[in-house]
Amino acid sequence: MSNISAILTRGAAAGLLLTLICASTAGAQAFRTESGHVAFHSSVPLHAFTGTSETLNGRISLADSTVDFYVDLITLETGIAKRDKDMRQTLETEEHPFAEFYGKLTTPVNLQAEGAQQVSAEGTFTIHGISREITVEGTLNRTPEGLAVEASWTLNMTDYDIKPPGILFYRVSEEIEIELQATLQPENN
Amino acid sequence: MRIQTLLLTTILTLLFLPAHAQMERERADIRPPVEEIFWTHGLVATGTVQQVPAGNMNVTIMHSFGVLSNRTLQNFFGLDSPPNVRLGLDFGLTDQWSLGIGRTTFEKVVDLRTQLVLLRQGSDGAPPLSLSLKGDLGVTTVENRRPLSDDLSGTAALMAARSFGDAFSLQISPMVSWFASPLPGNDGTLAGLGVGAEYRLSDRYAFFAEWLPVVGDRFEGAHNAFSVGLDIETGGHVFQLFFSNTQWHTEQYAISHTNTDFWAGDFRFGFNVNRIFQL
Repeated sequence: MSNISAILTRGAAAGLLLTLICASTAGAQAFRTESGHVAFHSSVPLHAFTGTSETLNGRISLADSTVDFYVDLITLETGIAKRDKDMRQTLETEEHPFAEFYGKLTTPVNLQAEGAQQVSAEGTFTIHGISREITVEGTLNRTPEGLAVEASWTLNMTDYDIKPPGILFYRVSEEIEIELQATLQPENN
Repeated sequence: MRIQTLLLTTILTLLFLPAHAQMERERADIRPPVEEIFWTHGLVATGTVQQVPAGNMNVTIMHSFGVLSNRTLQNFFGLDSPPNVRLGLDFGLTDQWSLGIGRTTFEKVVDLRTQLVLLRQGSDGAPPLSLSLKGDLGVTTVENRRPLSDDLSGTAALMAARSFGDAFSLQISPMVSWFASPLPGNDGTLAGLGVGAEYRLSDRYAFFAEWLPVVGDRFEGAHNAFSVGLDIETGGHVFQLFFSNTQWHTEQYAISHTNTDFWAGDFRFGFNVNRIFQL
């Protein structure tokens, strides 16, 4: 009986220690934000518009190279409330509230380096309930404010079953330019 | 014993390790207000709580023709009569405040108007309705040998509106209108109770109705304005086709100068064009 409890105690202690070690090393290597900026540009002759959100959630862990970003699409604003509403209908945000990317960095990152480093990440982008494998190019820059991330890619609406809204005689372009900028803070575990 | 210890340690370690997979997805804590209680900033004679957003310009072209029932075919459903046209521009200074100017053909009335949001209905039902204040100051610029101060008229309205589900909206607007040069029957201050409703058939079509009964004394011969019409939303413009007994497109004139009775069949055809431009 006493043996078992001793084992348990020892095991727990060892586990806790390991956990702390893992957590602290991971913590030093992981960065987060809840206030990143994301924008998309739809370019149609005479009808170009941009939607933006300042509540992009992001996390980059250098320990396991994961890149994780998501935004609640209800926070996107185009400057015209009516258009926002149309956009939410088009994206069916009630059923599919998030646009998200989860993947891995495929290029090494050096936190000691000065200036912006080109990086690329491969992973799954999900919007409108459809997931596709994509590769995103961007830069990482270790600044005094945190880890600055910039990335952009082009999304084709038809790939994600998004029916571009019609405007009288023409349709909104199927190609949507997406860009994100965020400064991630070191994670404190 | 060794093996057991190792096993336990491993299990416990796994239990304690923070899962560094995806972040938990959390919905943003915002419940936007109901965006479109009405499709347009105004119906036929009265405004709606639909605000012109900041940095946007609302262009309205409103027409109403002659009475349909007066020699219908000879006058081609009233279209041969000169239409009363109000051309208007409204500017959204902020999302809560807009300023507008318009000019009406009849009596060459130029009017300045402003609209202020007090409350916006929340999409989760709190607050339960939208409230706006509207003011309109008109001046008759037709040559009449009167001093300018006698050419003024105005309206102050409180608009309370609620959207019931996605299809139906209702607005009640108590208002007071005033004329510097009243007609017989009233000393120049008129009270009214505007009622506006919109029923959506689809994303493209909606029916609307508007009723503006006078409360208390009225100018001699004035009838309550009533209109019924169809909104056509094209993705840029909103067209409004309507039948109405009023030929006026500002509150103070509709409440005082509507001279035919809708229910006696003396109504007109009219149409409005609405378009919002981002400046």
